[in-house]
Amino acid sequence: MSPLTFKLNIIPEFTLDVSPLTPDKLLAKSQTQIKKINLRYGKQKISVDKLFSISGDNPENIKFLGSTEKLICIGQNMSRGNIDVQGNAGNFIGQYMQGGNINVQGNAGSWVGNSMTNGRIHINGNVDDYLGAGLPGDPYGMSDGLIYVSGNAGDRVGDRMRRGIIIICGMAGDYCGSRMIAGTIIVLDKAGKYSGFGMKRGTIILAKKPRHISATFKSCGNLKVQFLRLLFKQLSEMEQRLTLFREYGPEAHRFTGDLASNGKGEILILQTIKTG
Amino acid sequence: MKINGVTIDDTFAEAFPMKATRIIITAMTLKWAYRAANSLTGFASSVIGCGCESAIERELNPSETPDGRPGIAVMVFAMSTKELEKQVPKRVGQSVMTAATTACYAGIHGDEEIPLGKNLRFFGDGYQISKTINGRRFWRIPVMHGEFVCEETTGVTRAIGGGNFLVMGKTTRHALAACEKAIDEIKKVTGVITAFPGGIVGAGSKIGSKYKFLVASTNEAYCPTIKGQVNSDLSDEVGSVLEIVIDGLNEEVIRDAMRKGINAVCSFGPRKGIYRVSAGNYGGNLGAYHFHLKNIVV
Repeated sequence: MSPLTFKLNIIPEFTLDVSPLTPDKLLAKSQTQIKKINLRYGKQKISVDKLFSISGDNPENIKFLGSTEKLICIGQNMSRGNIDVQGNAGNFIGQYMQGGNINVQGNAGSWVGNSMTNGRIHINGNVDDYLGAGLPGDPYGMSDGLIYVSGNAGDRVGDRMRRGIIIICGMAGDYCGSRMIAGTIIVLDKAGKYSGFGMKRGTIILAKKPRHISATFKSCGNLKVQFLRLLFKQLSEMEQRLTLFREYGPEAHRFTGDLASNGKGEILILQTIKTG
Repeated sequence: MKINGVTIDDTFAEAFPMKATRIIITAMTLKWAYRAANSLTGFASSVIGCGCESAIERELNPSETPDGRPGIAVMVFAMSTKELEKQVPKRVGQSVMTAATTACYAGIHGDEEIPLGKNLRFFGDGYQISKTINGRRFWRIPVMHGEFVCEETTGVTRAIGGGNFLVMGKTTRHALAACEKAIDEIKKVTGVITAFPGGIVGAGSKIGSKYKFLVASTNEAYCPTIKGQVNSDLSDEVGSVLEIVIDGLNEEVIRDAMRKGINAVCSFGPRKGIYRVSAGNYGGNLGAYHFHLKNIVV
């Protein structure tokens, strides 16, 4: 069986909500039925066949070809299967996702993995703000799963995040891990200002020393953090792309805070990279 | 039946259903992992008096452990999940958490789980941190050496306890040498432990006693010093009997361990003072599993 492929036939002017095109929702549908599904395009509702040419027959593996940043809500609420996006993607990728995998070859918009409860998202390019965060009105941000960003991330990464792991290979913007309730954020390049602002619990791991640590974080000194051994070993065994964590050791400078909140969160600034 | 001149009795070992778990202990060095493991498995030779049976299963390479440090796999067997639930957290708390540089993880995952770090976390007095990685939950408990990382729960599986065989030799020295070799061979089998000190039982027991307050007492039929006083099962030439008791995760691994052990014992032969191999049973009425020696060694 070949992946169920949606090739975009138009260059969308408005946002196109593709949330009905997930493995869960397409599993029991024939191609004729899929073609008749109405998608929200700006203010209008347009059927799938007017926007995409469809090929393939395996709804467990969905592919979007020619995708642009106007495609929003990709993989919303999905709980199984894989979605592969060739090109860029818009906001709300993997929103409320419960399982499965989403892979975006290009960049993605804001609110990636918004309040997701499980599953994995991989963004090959950059992402905008509020990665893994919770919308105003949501009780919290992502509560499990893994988000991996090969490029940079915008502001407010993991805002009100409750559990799960976010990995950013590039830089993160300001307020990284703001108001975190728990979970783990790893930034392998520089992070912006006010990392951990208002965090109650949770861990922010920075591979590079930030320019600025808030005054409401207290130093616990340079330590060998046993948990880092476990985390890096487990991550490196999870996926091929995560084998890079074999290079990281347990030595870190630990800051605890935000003392203006619960004060039980931590920022770990990695001290060395393992050699040999 | 004889192997290398050693008589194999036409009898069977009678074994019982148990519950088991495996725990992985890691430390900065293998030495410290051993220290914690030896402490955890101490006083755990028999469920009769210790509540559980426990021993080191094998050493683990850093590549096999969750945190990439050297480790030891330990197995704990008990008669029920409830008893395991009582024994495991106590032993981990007192023997592993207190040992320098250690961490403790589940070695089995299953439908049934018992607490590991779930209760120990309270030792952190509010400073403990929970972490979930790939669906597994771990506790980071701040301690004086740094932090003690412990998985929330460990899995429980059905298991078998009481696979055994008796080694009859000219003297204790002869029987012990053969049993030591057998233990070395049994250690090569994954999924089994020999919980008695050194893996060898010097004082095997029978069920019951003339004293009402005792549930088990000496197995007089195999005691050479009272051969003349009791209905002994020993010939004149036998001066010492040692027993090897094997607990395992399933029948297959116990059979494999018994085969390897018996073959090792028989390799000594009568010239090196080994005359007979037998097995302990209760007439076949109590245990659900019967390991017939002749079927095993064939």
